[in-house]
Amino acid sequence: MTSPAAYLWLIPVLPLLAAGISAVLPRASRRWAAGLAIASLAAGLGLSLMAFFATVGTASHGAVAHDPRNFPWLSLGGEAVRLGWVLDPLTAVMLVMVTLVGLLIFIYSTGYMAHDDNFTRFFCFLALFAAAMLGLVIANSLLLLFICWELVGLASYLLIGFWYRQPSAAAAAKKAFITTRIGDLGLLLGMVWLYHETGTLLFYDDGRGCLEHSALTQLATQATLGGMGLSTAISLLIFCGAIGKSGQVPLHVWLPDAMEGPTPVSALIHAATMVAAGVFLLARMYPLIAAHPVGTPAETAALQAVTWVGAITAVFAACIAVAQNDLKRILAYSTVSQLGFMMLGIGVGGVAVGMFHLITHAFFKALLFLGAGLVIHGCHEEQDIRRMGGLRRWMPVTFATYAVGMLALAGFPLVFSGFWSKDEILHAAHGWPVSKVPLYLGLVGALLTAFYMTRQVCHVFFGEWRGGNGRTAGAATPHESPPVMTVPLAVLAGFAVLLGFLGTPAWPWFQAFLTGEELAFKPSKLFAWEHLSLLLASSCLALGGMALGWWLYGRRPLDSAESPDALAMRWPAVYRVLAGKFFVDELYEATVVRWHAGWARVCDLLDRWLWGGAVLALQGIAWGLSWVSKVLDEFGINLGFDLVCGRVRRAAGLTATLQDGRLPNYLRALALALALLLLLLTWGVKG
Amino acid sequence: MNPFSYLEALRLAAPETALAVAALAVLFADLGGMRGESLRHRAILGAGITAVGGAMALLWLGFAPGYGTIAEGVLVTSPLTQLVKAGLVLLTLLVAGLSLDPRFTGHVGEYFSLLLLGTIGMMVLVSTQDLLMLFLALELTSLPLYVLAGFNKRDRASAEAALKYFFFGSVAAAFLLFGFSLLYGVAGSTRLPVIAAAVALKPPDALTLVALVCVVMGFGFKVAAVPFHLWAPDAYEGAPTPAAAFIASGSKVASFAVFGIVLAQGLGPMAGGADWHGFTTGWLPLLAVVALASMLLGNLAAIAQRSVKRLLAYSAIAHAGYLLLGLMALATPANRPAALAAILYYAITYALSTVGAFGIVAVVERATGSDAADGFNGLARRSPALALCLMIFLLSLAGIPPLAGFLGKFYVFVAATRAGDGSLSLFWLVLVAIALSVVSLYYYLKLLKRAYVLPPDGAVPATRPDVMEFVVIGMTAAAVLGLGVFPRALLEPLALAIQQAGF
Repeated sequence: MTSPAAYLWLIPVLPLLAAGISAVLPRASRRWAAGLAIASLAAGLGLSLMAFFATVGTASHGAVAHDPRNFPWLSLGGEAVRLGWVLDPLTAVMLVMVTLVGLLIFIYSTGYMAHDDNFTRFFCFLALFAAAMLGLVIANSLLLLFICWELVGLASYLLIGFWYRQPSAAAAAKKAFITTRIGDLGLLLGMVWLYHETGTLLFYDDGRGCLEHSALTQLATQATLGGMGLSTAISLLIFCGAIGKSGQVPLHVWLPDAMEGPTPVSALIHAATMVAAGVFLLARMYPLIAAHPVGTPAETAALQAVTWVGAITAVFAACIAVAQNDLKRILAYSTVSQLGFMMLGIGVGGVAVGMFHLITHAFFKALLFLGAGLVIHGCHEEQDIRRMGGLRRWMPVTFATYAVGMLALAGFPLVFSGFWSKDEILHAAHGWPVSKVPLYLGLVGALLTAFYMTRQVCHVFFGEWRGGNGRTAGAATPHESPPVMTVPLAVLAGFAVLLGFLGTPAWPWFQAFLTGEELAFKPSKLFAWEHLSLLLASSCLALGGMALGWWLYGRRPLDSAESPDALAMRWPAVYRVLAGKFFVDELYEATVVRWHAGWARVCDLLDRWLWGGAVLALQGIAWGLSWVSKVLDEFGINLGFDLVCGRVRRAAGLTATLQDGRLPNYLRALALALALLLLLLTWGVKG
Repeated sequence: MNPFSYLEALRLAAPETALAVAALAVLFADLGGMRGESLRHRAILGAGITAVGGAMALLWLGFAPGYGTIAEGVLVTSPLTQLVKAGLVLLTLLVAGLSLDPRFTGHVGEYFSLLLLGTIGMMVLVSTQDLLMLFLALELTSLPLYVLAGFNKRDRASAEAALKYFFFGSVAAAFLLFGFSLLYGVAGSTRLPVIAAAVALKPPDALTLVALVCVVMGFGFKVAAVPFHLWAPDAYEGAPTPAAAFIASGSKVASFAVFGIVLAQGLGPMAGGADWHGFTTGWLPLLAVVALASMLLGNLAAIAQRSVKRLLAYSAIAHAGYLLLGLMALATPANRPAALAAILYYAITYALSTVGAFGIVAVVERATGSDAADGFNGLARRSPALALCLMIFLLSLAGIPPLAGFLGKFYVFVAATRAGDGSLSLFWLVLVAIALSVVSLYYYLKLLKRAYVLPPDGAVPATRPDVMEFVVIGMTAAAVLGLGVFPRALLEPLALAIQQAGF
């Protein structure tokens, strides 16, 4: 049997086909569009599982097996640009995650979008997104990865702006596209530079790829601007792309606005998969980021940058999340913060640490978003958590699954995956020799996470129902959703619990799988003091955060939607800053956007007066010339051209009359032709 | 001489046999059991049996192709002949798909069996190297075509077309036979390689020259080249539309293939030269004159036509001119494989576009009652899909990329430019051909303008193809587009087959 790597290309191509077909389907064929998308992803999931199980156990002695398949794409002169795909543990893990979460969200969407007129278009975009994301995951070439990266961005743009008739959705789509594009510029520059230095963009190519030993040594030892290693400079540029895509400070502003899209989109793209692409990119490029000459510390400048950006983002976004009132926005800021954790994990602990949190987060955050979708659905499109309350009575299934997601995100000790993956990161940060500040930031972030999630759940599910105050007429009580939407939640909830046990310090299967190290079952490790102390600390922080949240919000629920926030009553100034999201949007508005608008105005003026005048002058000249040529045309050329055309048409008439329809004449023509051809052969030619 | 083995003959001629059995089966089924049924049912049965026979033949050609030679070249099968035959069978099936609504006749069984017999003739035609067999096959091809052209007995135009076609064809066939007999006189054999050896030995004399002219005339009639084209416009216009599609497609491919084989394998040594400043004796100057006249007259006369079928006839004449350019490239032995591949690619893609175009004419004709160009006014609004297909076919015929017609022209012109070992001796004809392609755009676009720009005239009934017509038209449109984008799908098998056939 051939290795599943040979068929890996099918995984993105199937959804792409589905997208292509549903793009031309008529709007009424909803079943077809949804069926195609779901079937393509289900097939992708099957192939991904095959690929996954084929990679298990291939690693040996601390090295992971890469199985690249490359092919020439464009031949330019003697050079061929080669693309390809690769099967290794990183790819396999991501493939399974993306296809599984995607499949569940697709199924959920058939229920969530059931009443939308543009159902078919929605599934077309979803399938396009899945194709691009899967292509990004399997890419063995930075160029192919970049192509899919941009396609993912396009699909995200289309889906955020899916309800493009709402101005806010259209604006959010634009914001997301432009903001991420700023980061992509860095990625593009890094890619071009990398190609210039190594002559290849393939990651793995039997020793010649840009992530393999010879290229890395070359890059790490050469110095460029200010004594920085080449690999560091290129890594930093590539990191810019990751900052944009994964919503890290300072380019995080687009992600909360992206919640204007339909909720399944938020779950799929802006929680589970696409935003994680930045982290995945770093994981993929990790050999380059971590490349350093022999004898220098392993914490390269690029890794330090990743660490600091991640740690700062984790706390920064968690702070903002504390003071938000929109159900989805809280989750959005929480996503930003958790992405920061992943970056921090990659920076301090390497690929396995960051990726473990990425995978667990994908499941419980998708779960939370889908649950939020049910809440919003059940509350008749209400998103303000102050206008909810007491929903656990009406929506028991939603409440149960949401609670699992919330506990996982908050890092509730021992049985939830988020606890273990976060603990990994904190443990790695603890061992980081450069500074202990990232560890403290991470701990603060963990505390805040538990706090704001408790606040949200208290507002939404506990207390009394505060909605239905005349804004939604008629049946205003919330209701539970059909099984097509709740079953995917239950599945995700299961994963949100179980996944944690793949990566505990006692049995780090996941880390061993990604790094290729030997796996051993050592429960004693759990009780070693360095582990135990951190486990205890993070448990205390999580429980403390939740207790604090309960104390502030759970004990005395809001009695009406208008009553002020408990935090705002105690520290109004702090609350205002947090609710204003640290005024980053306003800052950008006042600086970048205003500068941009001013410059645009200057350009407009220049255009109008300077260039406009020049154009007017040219126009005058052109008028004069055209008048001259018109005269020439009418009296010179036209006559000649008309003459030719007339001739052609007359010739046509003449030749057509040769055909007079009389058989004797036809036969005469035949005889004449014979004679003429013979004459030609006997006299018309040289012997 | 080896004893003649019937078993061997059956093995090599199995596809033809399958079609012959199908032809008899259609006749029996229709005459025997279907007398009282409606025309539509009988047509479906006939087309069904035709499809089964065709499928058998195709399976045979695809999976168990027998290669060999019988009786020193009377029947020769090679990968090349099998490939061309597969193309011919496919074209016949497409035409059969267009014939499911035979309002022009009550003799459905005869119609389909003639279609099959004509196909058998074409298949034998491309797989023989013997002049006698070749002539027989030519007649086996022509006779069904004459009858098919006159199949609408209630229509005077159809009868007239058949009669003209028949007379003209008989005279041309007589000339061809005369030419063949002279060649036999020269070589003492009817086998092409022997003839080639014989004409290579001595300088051309009066006998061979007359033979040459007669052969060119005979084949010139089959491919409808000026001045042997006079039957074509009348036959195309008068014949029932599916029959016209058959005459214009399969018969063209087979004729060009066999013309190429005769020129390359039988008369190769006496090609002569067709440099514009001095002809030298051989078939090249004859073809040059004929090609030039065909391109000029075909393209010019097409402009003045009001009937779309006549327009397609003149366009066919022009295309014959371009293809003759490709045949002229066969004169240089080193150039032969590329030239033959170009000719066959061109002929097959041209045949596909033509079948599709005739299919659309049939649909429009049924809706409006005539094939006048006015009937196409506003077609895009009545039936957008049909208009789109029409655009694909016409633009392919005009040679616009990325459609197959463009690549066909390109390859043929490249082959003609390379002919004569880099002396560019045929380049003047290529220049004329390119200039006249521009002229051809005029009449194709005029028809497209009717379909897309002009409003429909008054109350034209809805223009709907039936399912099978739609399938045939859609498939040919997809093929024309697909072969234009991925020409290797056809060119590579062709090149391989040509190489294996020993050109």
